[in-house]
Amino acid sequence: MSRIADFTAFILRRPAALVGLILLLLQVLAIVFAPVLATHSPTTADPIASLQPPSSEHWFGTDVSGMDIYSRIIFATRINLLISVTAVAVAFVVGVPIGLLVGYYRNWLSSLTMRVFDFIQSFPVFVLGMALVSVMGQEIWNVAIVLAVLFIPVFARLIRAEVLSLRDRPFISAARCSGATDGTIMFRHILPNALTPSIVQVSISIGMAILLTAGLSFIGAGVRMPVPEWGLMVSVGSQQMILGVWWVSLFPGLAIVLSVLSFALLADAVRDYFDPRRERG
Amino acid sequence: MANVEESPLVEVKGLSVAFAGKSALNAIDLTLRRDEVLGVVGETGAGKSVLARALIRLLPGNAGITSGEICITGRSVADMSDEELRRLRGGEVALIGTDAKSLLDPVRSVGDQVADVLQAHRRIGRKQAKAAAIEVFEKVGIVDAEKRAAAYPHQLSGGMAQRIVIAMAMIAGPKVVLADDATLGLDATIQVQVLDLLVSRCRELGLGAIIITHDLGIVARYCDRVAIMRDGRIEEEAATSAFLAGPATSYGSQLLAAAKARPVPMAKADCPKAPVESAPSRPIIEVLDLKKYFSTPSGHVVRAVDDVSFRIPRGETLALVGESGSGKTTVGQCLVRLLPSDAGSVLFGGADILGLPDSAFRPMRKYIQMVFQEPYVALNPRWKVEDLIAEPLALDGSVTTGEARRKRVLEMLDLVRLPARLASVFPHQLTAGEQKRVGIARALATRPDFVVFDEPTTALDIRVRAQIIDLVRDLQRQMQLATLFITHDLNSVRSLAHNVAVMRYGKIVETGETEKIFASPQHEYTKMLLGAELPIEHFAG
Repeated sequence: MSRIADFTAFILRRPAALVGLILLLLQVLAIVFAPVLATHSPTTADPIASLQPPSSEHWFGTDVSGMDIYSRIIFATRINLLISVTAVAVAFVVGVPIGLLVGYYRNWLSSLTMRVFDFIQSFPVFVLGMALVSVMGQEIWNVAIVLAVLFIPVFARLIRAEVLSLRDRPFISAARCSGATDGTIMFRHILPNALTPSIVQVSISIGMAILLTAGLSFIGAGVRMPVPEWGLMVSVGSQQMILGVWWVSLFPGLAIVLSVLSFALLADAVRDYFDPRRERG
Repeated sequence: MANVEESPLVEVKGLSVAFAGKSALNAIDLTLRRDEVLGVVGETGAGKSVLARALIRLLPGNAGITSGEICITGRSVADMSDEELRRLRGGEVALIGTDAKSLLDPVRSVGDQVADVLQAHRRIGRKQAKAAAIEVFEKVGIVDAEKRAAAYPHQLSGGMAQRIVIAMAMIAGPKVVLADDATLGLDATIQVQVLDLLVSRCRELGLGAIIITHDLGIVARYCDRVAIMRDGRIEEEAATSAFLAGPATSYGSQLLAAAKARPVPMAKADCPKAPVESAPSRPIIEVLDLKKYFSTPSGHVVRAVDDVSFRIPRGETLALVGESGSGKTTVGQCLVRLLPSDAGSVLFGGADILGLPDSAFRPMRKYIQMVFQEPYVALNPRWKVEDLIAEPLALDGSVTTGEARRKRVLEMLDLVRLPARLASVFPHQLTAGEQKRVGIARALATRPDFVVFDEPTTALDIRVRAQIIDLVRDLQRQMQLATLFITHDLNSVRSLAHNVAVMRYGKIVETGETEKIFASPQHEYTKMLLGAELPIEHFAG
């Protein structure tokens, strides 16, 4: 059985993971079929239809400039997932080898690297995000780069912690006695055993990245109107919230919740799946 | 009074326990009377611990009693309320588990913890409870009890922690003591002290005790009766002397035979090549004044290995014997250069290997191999057996093609008597004995000249241990290996070592031929080690 089919079968047996998978599939559908699913253009303002409550014409209502919220939520899935997935992929690809090297070779260079990570992580996320985005400009890709920089230390630390606990394990000593070189020990013995928490972290991080993208947009340091993005939509709606206009913020907010939830639920399933002691069936 | 005397302390009738539908205990019948020590013996998975926990209704959540009855001092455990059960546990029946340190709360002083137990069972003030705890500490042989009572678990040695746990079990005056592998992992000398104490306290107070163990030596020395368990059943139950004289079942005799030392068949005369090479052959490995010091964070220097010297010729085995902390494992790690040594030299085939740079030493690993202690953790859990055994072959210039590698792997599996189908499984799918064999196959794959065996028989069941001893002995004779055999298991030393070196505090205190050392030990420490051994031959007559 192929890996994907095996994983799907595994998920089908766990209700929580199944919910996560269904939510993820809905997002994929929204990304692929956005033009078909949307009822209006996501970026066309219609001042006459400003702040309409949900109706048969505008399912989730309209915002202050009269843009259809349902259509914007659908199109925003593309932006939000693109930013998050790219950021986390970059962070994973860069962070994992760094963590591996830093954990395996304990010298001045690895200490220095860890201090740099301390430096990055000791900044409040939003201050750092605002600083970087304001230097580089409020573009989608810049938001992704900012998030990648934020997540590199997360993956590097996670791998490093695993490496530190693995490197003195008897099977590593046994491999060394079998003539394994540093490279073999690092990549063939340690890495496969150290990877599981990071793979789980990928899923969690995508969820976090969605939240951060939304948060950055909310405080005005992310993408700019009229780009459809969930956090920006919540932000736009928050100004009318006290006037009883609840729909502008609520629906994109729900989209964020469901999207983050889908990755969190899948993260648990992924962790269980990669446990080597799990009975394959 | 007569009535009370007659009702047994523990009476189990037809007890069956199942874990989520899978049977763990099957129709167990067992009785324990006052003033009696019963040994329950069995291999891993026989259901010994489940039995102990069933007695005090402390089974894990997914396990349940499916049939049968347990009576403690005449009352059925099944009918007890939660409050009655609470009083039963620790009050009437005390359980002593393995690994005392993990049984104690790390953030409370041991005196407080033991006093808690008493307060849980008696209406008694804090001060009196603590005084009683100190009194019990003295009775279980803790010197300076008052000071020790204020100590935290991490400040105690393993043996001391085990005494505290025994004190904890004894303080509320139980009628029955269950010792579930209570001395597993302790050094032999400590084990004997702890068990002597436990059993003598039980006898003094007329308690009933159930000693659960896999060591027939313990049964022979301490128990009145023995029950042999296998697959959740009691195979046979007899007076200890009767069992040792002649077990009634074939499984019982297998266990008994496996627990006995193999007579040493390896006197040098047996070695086929020895007479031919009359000239003193050069030793394969020669260790001269090896030193390895560790410094603790507080700046204290520990001399783990201090001026250790020995030599091992081809086809011979030197057993390095000592208790935990003696430095014997460190010696092994220095020899295969897992640890850098501080001074001395290791001559392999006449050339010093300690001075070589790593890159120059790496090809030599083909000739110098090590079998690791813990069978499971020394195998990468994500590698298949085949790949694990093949890994060292990268050092062997004669094995280059995938086909040759595969052939050698199968050859090795056959050598350690494992079926070829195991080549494609992962380590966790193997039993402990099979894992050990894979570890051995891996070390021998490059056909080395010198192999370090680090504790090859620990953590194995009786029969498996005997099989591994036989295997190592055969291999060594077949391959004419020079072997350093690091162990604290004297039984296995007797079975497969030509020479013995006894280590203590980083130094070799006595060395010589195995038979001579066992027959007439010279050093006090050697005598103490031998005295702590519980060989069943002494009892079996």
